[in-house]
Amino acid sequence: MEKSTLAERRAALLHAGAQVSRNITSILDADVLLARTVDIICETFGFYYAGVFLLDETGEWAVLRAGRGEAGAAMLSEGHKLKVGGLSMIGAATGRNKAMIALDVGDEPVRFKNPHLPLTRSEMALPLAVGGKVIGALTVQSVEEAAFSEDDITALQAMADQLAVAIHNAHLYTENSRLLMQATRHARLLMAAAEVSKGVTSILDLDELLHRTVDIICDTYGFYYAGVFLLDATGTWAILRAGRGEAGAAMVAAGHKLQVGGLSMIGAAIAERQAHIALDVGEEAVFFRNPYLPLTRSEMALPLVVGDKVIGAVTVQSVEAAAFSAEDISSLQAMADQLAIALDNAYLLRELEAAHAELVRTKTFEAIATATTEAIHWIGNKALPITVSVQRLREDLSALSGVAPERVDSMREDLALIESSARLIIRVKEQLIGPAREYRPAPAMIEDVLKDTVRMMDIPAAMIDYAITPDVPLGIVDTTQLGRAFRYVLQNALEATENVAVPHLHVEIAPTAEGGIRYVATRLSNNGPSIPEADMPKIWASFYTTKDAEHPGLGLPACVQIIKQIDGQLTARNLPEGGVVFELLVPAFVERETESTVSLPAGKRFLLVDDDDVWSRFVERALVEAHNTVSRRGDGEIDYAAFDAIIVDGVLGQVDSTVVLNDIARAGAAEKTLVVASSVRVERTLDWMRFGVRDVLIKPYTRAALVATLG
Amino acid sequence: MKEDIKVLLVDDEKLVLRSMEKSLWRAGFGVESAGNAADALTLFAETMGGAAPFDIAILDLNMPNFEGQVDPNAGLKLLSRLLAMQPGFPVIVLTAFDEVERAKEAVRHGARAYFVKGRETDLIALVDSIVNAA
Repeated sequence: MEKSTLAERRAALLHAGAQVSRNITSILDADVLLARTVDIICETFGFYYAGVFLLDETGEWAVLRAGRGEAGAAMLSEGHKLKVGGLSMIGAATGRNKAMIALDVGDEPVRFKNPHLPLTRSEMALPLAVGGKVIGALTVQSVEEAAFSEDDITALQAMADQLAVAIHNAHLYTENSRLLMQATRHARLLMAAAEVSKGVTSILDLDELLHRTVDIICDTYGFYYAGVFLLDATGTWAILRAGRGEAGAAMVAAGHKLQVGGLSMIGAAIAERQAHIALDVGEEAVFFRNPYLPLTRSEMALPLVVGDKVIGAVTVQSVEAAAFSAEDISSLQAMADQLAIALDNAYLLRELEAAHAELVRTKTFEAIATATTEAIHWIGNKALPITVSVQRLREDLSALSGVAPERVDSMREDLALIESSARLIIRVKEQLIGPAREYRPAPAMIEDVLKDTVRMMDIPAAMIDYAITPDVPLGIVDTTQLGRAFRYVLQNALEATENVAVPHLHVEIAPTAEGGIRYVATRLSNNGPSIPEADMPKIWASFYTTKDAEHPGLGLPACVQIIKQIDGQLTARNLPEGGVVFELLVPAFVERETESTVSLPAGKRFLLVDDDDVWSRFVERALVEAHNTVSRRGDGEIDYAAFDAIIVDGVLGQVDSTVVLNDIARAGAAEKTLVVASSVRVERTLDWMRFGVRDVLIKPYTRAALVATLG
Repeated sequence: MKEDIKVLLVDDEKLVLRSMEKSLWRAGFGVESAGNAADALTLFAETMGGAAPFDIAILDLNMPNFEGQVDPNAGLKLLSRLLAMQPGFPVIVLTAFDEVERAKEAVRHGARAYFVKGRETDLIALVDSIVNAA
């Protein structure tokens, strides 16, 4: 090359290098920088092609990040990359941190034959390094053979060094910008959390709090949707209590709920007490696909935890994929924690309000009940003398003379009408007053209460059979009231089977559960006629009866009242094979007694007068385990004086208890005798007390109650 | 002779009182009645130790007490006063249906029996049995 030409080219190269440097150093966006670089190099130097490779995170591959023209675009779209230290010139330049030149590509063994650049005859690969560390390489290619001189290499390497610094600066700029954005976003999220907290902690009305919360979250964070779920009473379902916008309102109206521990993110967040995030909902197994929220791409479910208790969860959803970062989680969880406290406060307030309302209701009910009871007493008492007056009139009628017989018959009929009405009023009074009596719920053997009732009603043993699950738990009941309810249901069954050839009653007693609450179920079925389905709802109504005028229609409503007072349930249904079954559910006693809490007397001699039934076996076992001697009353002569205490079941199957009490009284042992019964009534109590017994008490069904009974 | 048996009947329910009076009269008993505890105590005290003392008393529980106030335990208070004046005096306590604890309380206070109102035929038999046993 001539001197002048050489000088001109060198000058042009220096000029071009300076221009490239000037251009690229002012560009801070890395992608723009690289694209502009390849264009400037080709335009300035007149090269066929230029491209910039940057090393990937592993440092093993040089990945094409910018390429000139259509060839460059095609290779970029293919994800063109070359192995560092590999056979390509880029691979060699990056592997060795050394410029590589191929003046005739056909002679260069390490050149990668590139179908996108068929005209290349000369190629130069210049490493891009900052502080001795290779970050990539620059390739420049020419259609001429031996296109590059030593001067070119020097000029282009200088430019490449400038480019490397510019790329490094651009990366630093990008990273700094990212960190700045991250810090700004984090600050904004914390401000938003504070705003939500400030907004929610001052709201004490639960419904307002929930609705304001979802609005504040969406408005502050710019989310697509937010919703608050609260656990139901059983703790098995999370119920949507508030949701943003129309979708939220529709879901709340539809009773949207998710199972705790189920496949939904809310269910998982509550069960595991930790935030769940789906950055791409399509890939999240536990994401609940919700037709109300079709645009959701990211979702976060945050548990609402107060102390050691989970009260629900918040869902926040975004239309963007990967919308949540680690900072978002901590910020939103802080917000959720504040919300949980606010909800807990609102709950406490609501509980206080409910307690107050319940107090007002109870007092109101007590006032009404007292007034009603007094009114019933008043009316009933006024009717009491009527029946006796009728009886006296009837006696006087018989003594009348000189009155036409038909007039006497008419008067007798009127007296019968008056007497019937008065007896009905008295019966209504007793049926209404009964359930209104004071309740003293305690653990009791349902089987024993039922069988005592059956015995007291003199229902023949052959007419009734039992299927009782072993180890059925005790029920929490007032045994006198439950006995009354059983009496009503049994009476109903007896009347229903009056016209049946072989009347039969079947009783099942078994544990059951509904809504997470354990009950003892008593199913009493009869083989009488079915109740017409249309009449089924009416049987619980006061004064509804299909029987004669002697029946006021209060038995079953009284039963409902009794069972409801002990938080139980009473239902009836027709059986497919005919007949009707009544099911009484009473709450089960689930606690277990500890021996340390009870202290039975020891070393005593007890006489137990009872049938061999579930209750007497319990008492015998408890007393024997406490190191007492327990004897059963047999048929032979008994030395009552030999016992320290005598316990008599007032309702015996084989013998009238008053016969036994008479024997005891004659033996002078009445004062150490206790009479017990599952339910007590005035007449029977006084019948027993007139033998001089120590007391008449409700049967104890637990060791603690037995201790109290034995005094 | 039943006419020789004198019953003190105490109840503030006028209709009930009158009905029981008639039933007892018709059964042959002699009856004097009072509508409250104070009047009953006066009647009892006036006849006590005289030629025609009461043989038995039938008392309502819920009625005006010695201060004239309606008191659910007025009958029990009167019972205690009567027994203090004449230990072992037979008393039947009257009250409404199904009040077991009050019945037991009355028996513990010394009542011979407790009677649910409205069953006067049984009451006559009860009075008979107590008086005859005395």
